[in-house]
Amino acid sequence: MKKMNSIRKKHSLALIIALCMAAPLTQAGDLNLSGFLSVGGGMIDDEDSPGYGGYDEEDLTFDKNLLGLQVTGQVSEKITATAQLIARSETDYEVNAEWAYLTWQASDSIKVRAGRLRTPFYMYSDFLDVGYAYSWITPPREVYYLPFNNVDGVDFYVTQTLGIFDTSFQAYFGSFDDELTLGGAPSEAKTRNQMGVAGTLGKDWWTLRAAYHQAELTVDVSGIPISPTTTMGGFATTLTALGYPDNAARLLVEEDDAVFTEFGLNIDTGRFVAAAEYVEFDPGDAVFSKNIRQYVMAGVRAGSWLVHVTGSQAKDEATHPEAGIPANQTIPVFGNTNVVIGTLQAIAQSQVTERDVLSLGVRWDVASSTALKFQVDDVDNKTAGDQKVFSVALQTVF
Amino acid sequence: MKKSIRSLAATLTLGIASFAWAEVAVIVHPSAGFDSLTEDDVARLFLGKSKSFPAGAQAVPVNQNEGSAARDKFNEAICKKNASQYKAYWSQLVFTGKGTPPKDAGDDAAVKTLIAANPNMIGYVDAGAVDATVKVVFKIP
Repeated sequence: MKKMNSIRKKHSLALIIALCMAAPLTQAGDLNLSGFLSVGGGMIDDEDSPGYGGYDEEDLTFDKNLLGLQVTGQVSEKITATAQLIARSETDYEVNAEWAYLTWQASDSIKVRAGRLRTPFYMYSDFLDVGYAYSWITPPREVYYLPFNNVDGVDFYVTQTLGIFDTSFQAYFGSFDDELTLGGAPSEAKTRNQMGVAGTLGKDWWTLRAAYHQAELTVDVSGIPISPTTTMGGFATTLTALGYPDNAARLLVEEDDAVFTEFGLNIDTGRFVAAAEYVEFDPGDAVFSKNIRQYVMAGVRAGSWLVHVTGSQAKDEATHPEAGIPANQTIPVFGNTNVVIGTLQAIAQSQVTERDVLSLGVRWDVASSTALKFQVDDVDNKTAGDQKVFSVALQTVF
Repeated sequence: MKKSIRSLAATLTLGIASFAWAEVAVIVHPSAGFDSLTEDDVARLFLGKSKSFPAGAQAVPVNQNEGSAARDKFNEAICKKNASQYKAYWSQLVFTGKGTPPKDAGDDAAVKTLIAANPNMIGYVDAGAVDATVKVVFKIP
């Protein structure tokens, strides 16, 4: 069973909202247009070993390109409309409205937004696609791996000064539908009753962050082959017939209560920069593994140069879909329960990633809104082969 | 007057540009109900961390255009950011709908004219450009 790979669907509704929003406002004159661009590519060291981060050729290719446009229009004194349209080379530059929302500025410190929003999973979630805003070419993949980055819903965002500290608090509720590629085949995925909170506390050069999210997660895994003759769905049906409906339920991802937590630290003294994040994904009763991921980054600035080193790690734990099945019993179809237990354990184990990545990167601010970045990632994969990735990107905001 | 003094330390710390220009004055409308702000007050307004003056009135910060000596000095001294760090800081807020950077309002003369006409605005100019149409609430030596 292959890992999840996100394929973005065309979200025509969001696009229509974006266009309707932009059209009447172009005359209003109060339209704010900003954008970002990332052009880059890379190569790997060894094609006989699995690729990493979307890089899988030994020859240098420049195919990691992205153009984003953000339009913000003043609807009334307290209400603004924002849409972010992104075209990526990975999806043939098909234009997607990643965000389209209305903001109600309830007071100087309180904002309420409704529409398609960025889910505040991570410290860098808000500007994930704006490479210019951070040091790396992309944030560490071991931690920034979730396939859903957006949510359709409402959120509440408040910033406050508490004594000498700057704080922010965000809470949201919503749902999301997406199409993922699982085992090479498209598969519907959705969240319902998705909600979360994220808070930051900071002063001058440091910021602490914590976030908690939960959702009922449904991913159609039934069509994924586990042997030449069986699919996950078929195996689950057989398990139920054998009298193990609980185990069958654990194999499928249907309205399972998933939880995601994050802790982060960000430091920028001007001379020194550092960042660290720790995340945990608990899939509840789903067959996905418990993901435990983290990274630590430190860097130093000298003029328009920034040199940084990052250690990131994935240390997942397999779930136990076999729990409750007695060992060594004679059963029909498989002959012995040990076969069933072994198969379930193998499926759970296939969801585990154990990887250490050491990255060395350089950011050079060519001009005040353009950065040229180089990065080397040394990937130590405990379950597959090792790899090295060399990448380069030119990133701007305008 | 633009005077550039490069100290040995600055030369050693690789490429930090010359940082001793003339004084920069942070200015508001003469009718403002306060006579001074702290460096922290000014920084919070220009970094989008607060949207009103300590006295409570709404505050609208305005920048000078990119490349102006006063802007570079102001960003280094108050925001503690060079031009590209400043840009990166704001791009983190702009592309999230969480903030909008102060508008670029031109040079000393343009900013002074704007402040003189708008009781809610706050800006900065070369101290030599200050006259009775505006009130100085902080000075960067």
